[in-house]
Amino acid sequence: MSLMDDHKRLLDEFTEFLGAENVLESKVPRERRALVTIERDKLRDAVRYLRDREGLTHITTISGVDVGEEIEVIYHLTKKDLSLALKVKVSMDEPVVDSIVDILNGAPLYEREVHDLLGVVFKGHPNLKRLILPDEWPEGVYPLRKKWDIDKIRETIDGKKW
Amino acid sequence: MKLNEREFIIPIGPQHPALKEPENFTFRVDGEYVVDVEPRIGYNHRGIEKAMESRTYIQNLYIVERVCGICSCSHQTCYTQNVEEVLDMEIPERAKYIRVLAAELERIHSHLLWLGVAAHEIGFDTLFYYIWRDREVVMDLLEMISGNRVNYAMPTIGGVRRDIAEDKIPQYMKMLDVLDERTRYYKNVCSTERTVLARAEGVGVLSKEDAIRLSACGPTLRASGVTSDIRADSPYLVYDEIPWKLISYDGGDVLANVLVRVDEVLESVGICKYCLEHLPEGPIRVKFSPLSKVPEGESVSLVEAPRGELIHYIQSRGKDKPYRYKIRAPTLGNIPSVCEKLRGGYIADIPIVIAGIDPCFSCTDRMTFVDEDRGKRWEMTGEQLRRYGVEWYK
Repeated sequence: MSLMDDHKRLLDEFTEFLGAENVLESKVPRERRALVTIERDKLRDAVRYLRDREGLTHITTISGVDVGEEIEVIYHLTKKDLSLALKVKVSMDEPVVDSIVDILNGAPLYEREVHDLLGVVFKGHPNLKRLILPDEWPEGVYPLRKKWDIDKIRETIDGKKW
Repeated sequence: MKLNEREFIIPIGPQHPALKEPENFTFRVDGEYVVDVEPRIGYNHRGIEKAMESRTYIQNLYIVERVCGICSCSHQTCYTQNVEEVLDMEIPERAKYIRVLAAELERIHSHLLWLGVAAHEIGFDTLFYYIWRDREVVMDLLEMISGNRVNYAMPTIGGVRRDIAEDKIPQYMKMLDVLDERTRYYKNVCSTERTVLARAEGVGVLSKEDAIRLSACGPTLRASGVTSDIRADSPYLVYDEIPWKLISYDGGDVLANVLVRVDEVLESVGICKYCLEHLPEGPIRVKFSPLSKVPEGESVSLVEAPRGELIHYIQSRGKDKPYRYKIRAPTLGNIPSVCEKLRGGYIADIPIVIAGIDPCFSCTDRMTFVDEDRGKRWEMTGEQLRRYGVEWYK
């Protein structure tokens, strides 16, 4: 079986496991890459399935993207011949998603990074403290959200325009 | 951190003169043993991801190169192939070979730099000076090829910026021979010299299971007996055409880290020679106008940087600037592993164990030792901690 076929088989079985209604998008753009978007509530089931059944035990990082009304949280899971981007969407008003640190022990720092810079709350994370921003950084200022730019951040911190 | 009556807290960092960047570790210690450790990073966070969102794809070439001074070429390689994937652009064969050449020369200089630092951390300064003297050979080589010692600016969107002069190749080959010979000598020194063995063998052990569990990457992972390397797992450029061997050692201690890196230098020298011997004819780049827009799309790019797996993620919305650009450098991936390595070890081993993952931040300069029992507080510099380690082992 070629790699592409194997990736497609993985996605088909994954969709079957999770239920087609919970898989919003899945594609294999090229060899060794795959992208799946799933419902937020199914994240933990999905990660556990991919770890145990498909050997995606390695988490490379978690990316967060502000797409306007929502924040995309993208888990980059890896095994030997595949890097899979598992995407969930959380609303900007209530940016909460379940933590996966107990499933993938490599994830704690990545979750803290996304929490710091985009304000996504990872429910169940044992130590969701600041990681990157200074301790005295004002609450509610999330630099990687699109509404914040450097002038606005400076104004908030210093109370005056630069 | 909760303490029992025998335990102390030692915050180490954020400043350290030995390595390049700041970072803080808070240690909980019981006598000479490290019980627990908590990292705090971000002292060098420059907001590069945010900056890239407001700059064009060509401007970002120069920003991304400055993410790191040591592995600048890895970031640029990762960035260019990421953008090229969204553009659906195929680059000329010759450009691929030149990119590999630059990337492997970078790996040689980075690993030799680390080897010198490691020698210094264990108090073996003679070895440190020798290695850094010989590292100058690869620095000269990089300067001859790219015109620069540090930021080579070789990859560009669509290919590479500079060609390799055919008449210089014999000279490059001679320099690579020197590196090969000297590295073999250091391999012998590192695996037989008592000073090195006493400080490196069995120190800072990371088991294979923990390495996989904590998603370690790069030489740190390979020193724990896992055969994983992006160049083999997800080949980019022409790594699947070039004969090279994936290095891995069992043990997971500092010694295994040393040997993995020394062997990788030898492999890289071989790859560089192969590239120079088999350099295909043809153009070195295809045109990419600075005003070009990049179509809508997203892409994940993986590169094996000297320190391990480097990932870049791009989301493009059809503008001349990326909508979102995410970078994760390998050191962040290895922090959970280094914390695991430190637990249960000696205070005296902290410098070499932290240096063992080849961190691209730094560990300590000023550190405060807090004696919780007596309410006492004293300070030590990173240099003092290094000396403490050296003296402790006498």
